[in-house]
Amino acid sequence: MLIVRLSVILMVIASIASGGLALLNKKTAPVIAAYKAEQQAKARLEVAEPVGGVEFREKSLEDGELFWEAFDSDSNLVGYVGMAYGKGYSSTIETVCGFDTEFRITGLKIIYQQETPGLGTKAVEVKKGETKPWFLKQFMKKLAANLAVTKDRGEIDSITGATITSRAITKSIKGVGLRIKDKVKVIDEVAVKKNESITHEPEPDNPYMKKEFKEIAE
Amino acid sequence: MDFGNLFVIAVGSILINNFVLMRFLGICPYIGVSKKLDSAVGMGMAVIFVMTLASFATWIIYRYLLHPVTGIWGVDLTFLRTIAFILVIASLVQFVEMMIQKLAPALYSALGIFLPLITTNCAVLGVAVLNIDDNLNLVESIVNGIAAGIGFTIALILMAGIRERLELANIPKPLQGIPIAFIMAGLMAIAFLGFSGLSVG
Amino acid sequence: MSLGNEFTKGIYAENPVLRLALGLCPALAVSSSMTNAVGMGASTIFVLLMSNMLVSLMRKGVPAKIRIPIYIVVIATFVTVVEMVLAAYFPPLFESLGIFVPLIVVNCIILGRAEAFAGKRAFIPSIIDGLGMGIGFTLALCAIATVREILGNGTWFNLQVTPTGFEPVLLFMLAPGAFITMGAWLGLFNWIDERNAEKEKTKAYMTEFGGEK
Repeated sequence: MLIVRLSVILMVIASIASGGLALLNKKTAPVIAAYKAEQQAKARLEVAEPVGGVEFREKSLEDGELFWEAFDSDSNLVGYVGMAYGKGYSSTIETVCGFDTEFRITGLKIIYQQETPGLGTKAVEVKKGETKPWFLKQFMKKLAANLAVTKDRGEIDSITGATITSRAITKSIKGVGLRIKDKVKVIDEVAVKKNESITHEPEPDNPYMKKEFKEIAE
Repeated sequence: MDFGNLFVIAVGSILINNFVLMRFLGICPYIGVSKKLDSAVGMGMAVIFVMTLASFATWIIYRYLLHPVTGIWGVDLTFLRTIAFILVIASLVQFVEMMIQKLAPALYSALGIFLPLITTNCAVLGVAVLNIDDNLNLVESIVNGIAAGIGFTIALILMAGIRERLELANIPKPLQGIPIAFIMAGLMAIAFLGFSGLSVG
Repeated sequence: MSLGNEFTKGIYAENPVLRLALGLCPALAVSSSMTNAVGMGASTIFVLLMSNMLVSLMRKGVPAKIRIPIYIVVIATFVTVVEMVLAAYFPPLFESLGIFVPLIVVNCIILGRAEAFAGKRAFIPSIIDGLGMGIGFTLALCAIATVREILGNGTWFNLQVTPTGFEPVLLFMLAPGAFITMGAWLGLFNWIDERNAEKEKTKAYMTEFGGEK
């Protein structure tokens, strides 16, 4: 009998606690979600700024991963934005990546990292008189497919003492770039097939014709 | 099954991100139980055991009771994570203690006194939370639990070995006992920093 | 013991971190910057205060056999409250404290005070005790963080304090620096104690032999 009584007491206390937390959760959960959404939206604008992307349309890859098509003020498709998640030394680094239509990097913004202070955190360090972190600057205008740190025979100089962090960021950006590129290519091929009967063929050196794109996107 | 990935997780938790020396988890028992080598071994074994079970139990609970999509209620209960995990670990420790006492009295006399201490060992809750934060699957979580326990045990045994010898050393009086243990831990952490250059995968 | 003593003992004589060696994990892990130290200190004070209050209020109704699980539920609840509030209203701080926010649950100071003090004592002393211990914990964190942030990064509360020629000793920002700083503070406290004890001894000796004042 004693065990029953004790269990009941424990149950009652646990349910009061959970009830209270549920109420609080109802209040805080939307605030947390809104903060995250706002942060991402801001970062998207920032990374797509060099190609003039101001409007974003959410899309998803086969496995549910989200990416965004960026449109300029005349609603021309100017690039893509993706989220890169790289497992660094002590955290999963989240980077918002902007690509132009040829999958060159237009902008990068790290929105979450908890790497070692003084080493890995240099990835977000901004030099005096500059506005963007120096580590990320070297990615600009490079093709996503070619990204690699110098140790892996690439062109990206690692942060001194933080190869794991540098490599994680580089690899994750390359990965997300290629995944979006593949997806876009598939859409494009479908679009080409559909339009085969039409005499107007896409120019060979620019497979991402704006016109077809907008049709698919809509 | 991707064994390479499991190996990366294991090496990561044992050496590169050693729970005690790099992540600062489980410092209290690390300082408290490292005076003698045999008690350090006993504590280490108990921690490996409980961490493995806790990784398994908390993963199942998170996935099937708390998670909004895969959970059986279909409601987002992830905010109850901390409460649920600590209760699971506390009851698990109690349960393990009773089971060992009944089934393996010899083992109980070796590990028994360490078990109650484990409830407040933050390394156990730490590994459970990290498994979820790092999105590990069930097998990876269990491997991570075992590896974290091994990492803890290695650090603890090394420390106990050093402290047994320190008994005979001539240490300035204000530094005797816990202060010198911390400074030793600092030196060991410098050594473990060397592993951070280790590139796996 | 007077209420004043209940308050001050947590800060110096029984400082949880530097004297009793409790709550060491957060003291080492989040002491790489003053901002983190103060954030962690405030969160811990809140949880400690609330749990001491509630445990003291419930002390007559709680069956002795299940008091520990009950304390754990109470503490975990308040920790979750802190988690939610930080995540919603102080996201940068929440991110930099990381996994150590949920781990406040296993901070042995809190369960220790519930078991050793609040579970047996009246409401008011329990509040005072919680406040004193919490502030003592925060001050210890700040002591470690001050050394680590200034030596390791040249800043204090993110403000540059060292002259431009000073090259920060990165080691203090990393794990080894935390351990060594902690060891040094503990040693310093022991040394002060020893000196005080010797002074007391001399004083006692003097009075016993009726020496000069």
